Amino acid sequence: MRRPRLSLREQPLPGGQPLAFGIGLAIALFVGILLLLGAGHDPVKIYSRMFEASLGDPNAWSITLNRAIPLGLAGLAVAVAGSMGLWNIGAEGQIMAGAIAAAWVARVGGDWPGFILILMMLIGAVGGGAILAIGPAVARSKLGVNEIITTLMLNEVAIRLVQWLIHGPWKDPDSFNFPLAPMLPDQARLPTLFSRAHFGLLIAAAVIVVASVAVRYTAWGYELRIAGSSEATARYSGISLPKKILTVLVLSGAIAGLAGGIELTGTADRLTETISNGFGFAGIIVAALALMRPSGVAVVAVLFGAVQIGGQSIQTLGVSSSVSTILQAFVLFGAIGAGVLSRYAITFDSESHLTAEAKS
Amino acid sequence: MNQPSSNTDKEPLSVELTEVWKKFPGVVANAGVELAVERGSIHALLGENGAGKSTLMNILAGVYRPDSGDLKIHGRSHQFRNPADALSAGVGMVHQEFRLIPSFSVAENVVLGSAPSVIKTGRVESDVAEMAHRFGLQVNPSQPLWQLSMGERQKVEILKVLWRDAQVLILDEPTTVLTPSEVDELGQILRRMADDGRSIIFISHKLHEISGICDHATVLRQGKTVAKSLPMASTNQDELARLMVGAAPTLPSQQKGPPPGPALLEINNLSALSDRGVNAFSGINFRIHSGEILGIAGVAGNGQRELADVIAGLRPSNGGTLIMNGTDITTESPHHRFKSGLAYIPEDRLGVGLAPRLSITDNAILRVYRQQRKGPFISGDRAKSYCSNIISRFGVKAGNLSGPIAALSGGNLQRLLVGRELDGKPSVVVASQPTRGLDVKGVKAIQDLLIEQRNAGAAVMMISEDLDELLAIADRLLVIEGGALRGEFDPQTASRQEVGMAMLSDKQTPTNL
Amino acid sequence: MNEASLVGLLFATVSFGALLYLAALGELVAEKAGVLNLGVEGMMAVGAVTAFIAGVEFQNPWLALIIAMLSSALLASVHGFFTVGLGAEQVVSGLSLTILGLGLAAYLGKDYVGLPPGAELVPVEWGPLSEWPWVGPVLFSQAPVVYLALILGITVSLILSRTRLGLALRAAGESASSTDSAGHSVLGLRLSAVAAGGALAGASGAYLTLSITPQWAEGLTAGRGWIAVALVIFGAWRPGRVGWGALLFGGTLALKTRLQTFGVDFSPIILSMLPYILTLLILLIISIQARKRPSPAPAALGLAYRREER
Repeated sequence: MRRPRLSLREQPLPGGQPLAFGIGLAIALFVGILLLLGAGHDPVKIYSRMFEASLGDPNAWSITLNRAIPLGLAGLAVAVAGSMGLWNIGAEGQIMAGAIAAAWVARVGGDWPGFILILMMLIGAVGGGAILAIGPAVARSKLGVNEIITTLMLNEVAIRLVQWLIHGPWKDPDSFNFPLAPMLPDQARLPTLFSRAHFGLLIAAAVIVVASVAVRYTAWGYELRIAGSSEATARYSGISLPKKILTVLVLSGAIAGLAGGIELTGTADRLTETISNGFGFAGIIVAALALMRPSGVAVVAVLFGAVQIGGQSIQTLGVSSSVSTILQAFVLFGAIGAGVLSRYAITFDSESHLTAEAKS
Repeated sequence: MNQPSSNTDKEPLSVELTEVWKKFPGVVANAGVELAVERGSIHALLGENGAGKSTLMNILAGVYRPDSGDLKIHGRSHQFRNPADALSAGVGMVHQEFRLIPSFSVAENVVLGSAPSVIKTGRVESDVAEMAHRFGLQVNPSQPLWQLSMGERQKVEILKVLWRDAQVLILDEPTTVLTPSEVDELGQILRRMADDGRSIIFISHKLHEISGICDHATVLRQGKTVAKSLPMASTNQDELARLMVGAAPTLPSQQKGPPPGPALLEINNLSALSDRGVNAFSGINFRIHSGEILGIAGVAGNGQRELADVIAGLRPSNGGTLIMNGTDITTESPHHRFKSGLAYIPEDRLGVGLAPRLSITDNAILRVYRQQRKGPFISGDRAKSYCSNIISRFGVKAGNLSGPIAALSGGNLQRLLVGRELDGKPSVVVASQPTRGLDVKGVKAIQDLLIEQRNAGAAVMMISEDLDELLAIADRLLVIEGGALRGEFDPQTASRQEVGMAMLSDKQTPTNL
Repeated sequence: MNEASLVGLLFATVSFGALLYLAALGELVAEKAGVLNLGVEGMMAVGAVTAFIAGVEFQNPWLALIIAMLSSALLASVHGFFTVGLGAEQVVSGLSLTILGLGLAAYLGKDYVGLPPGAELVPVEWGPLSEWPWVGPVLFSQAPVVYLALILGITVSLILSRTRLGLALRAAGESASSTDSAGHSVLGLRLSAVAAGGALAGASGAYLTLSITPQWAEGLTAGRGWIAVALVIFGAWRPGRVGWGALLFGGTLALKTRLQTFGVDFSPIILSMLPYILTLLILLIISIQARKRPSPAPAALGLAYRREER
């Protein structure tokens, strides 16, 4: 019987990953049409509204770009680790840890001038994210403990830490017994760039550019990519793996932490439980779609942000937010599938299986 | 579990292969091979690398399908579509790479794939123990596999095949993982299986072991049967070796370079373990001199790979010293050795020597990127020009230099790797199977590069499975077998047979290393 | 602290324990076969909502349970298709599955929010056993799903350790190539394991809406899917240990809302961190021990298998 099998293509299909993303999007839109029709909506009206709200005018762009910031930074965090074959699943928690640290700085320096306060908050955020990542980094570097699970568990710990702070020691005394953290000082707000887009956009863009350049053009980045491609080759050329693993995972956490700090000073006006809002997990997917390349993260983040913002906007038309969530999931699966098929072709077995032994 | 039907009980031959042909792209592996194995006998299948032994056995075991030819098991013709077919006809193979699961018990490993629906552990274990006892295989069925030595694991592999009631067992180079006493033990176990009416086909190149164990031998050379079912009792080892190696005329060797100079690399009493924890080689002593190509000849799997790794610094030694240019480098890192002038061309090109997912330029600068730094950056210009330099000097056909390295053909990959290593004008070059898998032009190109280095005064060590190649370009030849050096030869005067036989024997011939 | 509230705590411990155990057992089966499925949260949500909907439409709790299990198994098969069939990254696919599951659950359930349940799995009557002091109200007044969980746990354990199927499944999780050579279909084994994992996660979700909190609202699963993932590791991939871990973690869930009634001045939120911190500790211990003997994690976990022809 002829069995279908996947075999590595000699050359990946031209267009590769961007094409895969495009196909994923196309499949998703198609499924979306079915879903919307099923719920009694007019797909054309809905889709055009989605587009308008996310990419239609400068105001829409500003909202989308704001959303792209945490997605992009989280994606960058995951991509930097991913360039070396490491999985940082803890971006969600590291974003929160960053936000916690930034909020703490705000509590301490409530009367500092704006620029200083924001700067210190962001530095604190970077530190917060890095601290949360140290445990998994050391465990992986020295003991070989799989970082997927350690970072995943710390997500849950960080969420609860935020909850505890908001319900407990940091509860706003003026909030009528609702568990809320106090509002941030007025000056702890990133200035606006245009429309609704805030300064965090420039910070995030700068970080992404620096990271892309570093991974692509520096000796450090070169060693990272060698280690990610083949451990044996890394040892062969004198690269110390444990040290690299440690630094990369901590750096990844720091970047995610920064995202938390920017969210806090840019979009939010106080520390909340939903400060990370799924960005950490979305970041993993952004990074995967960008093939773990920091340079691709920005574009993917903007597109992803557009999908999310568009999805939010149609709620006012009576479409439940779940439709947008489902659409996102279909985009992802479509892109995953197309990505695999761009690198592997479906062939049919005529010989029996088992690896061909040496021909002697 | 198949019982042979009654009319085949009278059939004296358990295996009969007639006119078997198998072609792969570019090579005819089996060209009309004949094999006949008597029931209840242990039959050796001999031949050099590339003779067609493994291909033939893979056909018998159902892994490959022959292009043409007849396959009879116990007198009945079969066409195996897959290994499961072969197993149901009673043919089982024990491969060199074990397919065992370390965290499972011995019994679980044995019955995987043919277990009853409900496994009563106690019952299964005692059944396995009984079968093991029947054939003299000492194993503890409830023991977790990871605790077992390689020799013990091999017993489990044999048990697996017996459990499926294999009447014909094929063992592919089984003694490479065994100690001498384990080899004797294996011989006894096989004898018991043969006495039980089963037939065993034993692929090996170790003539000294085979004569003690096997009843008959069939010799393959270049895809053909050159001797069929020779009775071991009346055939001596030398004759077998001659048949395996052939009486091909020695190729004229090329002109020698200048007379060799001082010893640049000294290997003193070196030993190391293999990945499996047994000795890969021990007590190795030799020197490589400036201006010479020292060839290391040997059948694959006799310690050469590990030797190359140890010299390059990728594998730790567990005894002895390495001295290069007068300095002890035994514990130095690979990178330090490179800086001191040792170039390494590894056997595993895309896995060790080159980073598979990176670009051509990235791979070209692997050894020198630290010197191309401009601050924290790697100068893109210097990297590119370095890469172009290597490309042109070493004749690498490459398109876009920022493109993925995987796009290069095998020959060009090797030229890039070799070029990169030789660019630093090393004083010592270790080349492991440098021309394997290349086409005629590629082979010549690499050989010329190594000769060039030799002429410039480098000490070149070349490990190759291709004896003819070594005879053609080496200045001196050492033979490695079973982890030890078995003789030194002068390629100008030694005959192919002499060297070939040394590769197959465990006899020490006097040497002046 | 009085007897009644302690009994209540223990009852909830067993109840939550069963909830977690079902989902964890499913993930254990999948991981034992070598497939990491981070979509448990999504599968639980789908199970919860389809059970509730089926309950409202058909008023039969058992039918609802079965429908829930089938739905989640179907959802899980999406992950199976991409990871086992196509060899895609299991982490990415699993997270996408969570998003899909949560989205689907919200979408399907939006017309059912706030509705009263149509069917409930009422606690089983054990007659005199239920009257037994302490043990009775805690162990013998649970919903049938709890006993189902126990039975399933024992069944899975027996299948894994004493049947041909279990052996093959475990082999697929340890070494796909050895399993393939032995004549088993790695594809079939892994796909089945993933689907079974989905079914059990669905049962867990169904337990939620058919018994524990008989209503539907978005976000009902509240992160318990992640506890289940942690639980498998905590229990070192052994059904028995996972069971005890489930009771422990279930206890923390139960204790969370009851700390005040016991007069304990400890933040329930900090308490809820416990399962994750404990899992981290166990993981560290396993890794240190792994220096001397093989790790209990299935060796091929997370690795795609493609038969290659050189």
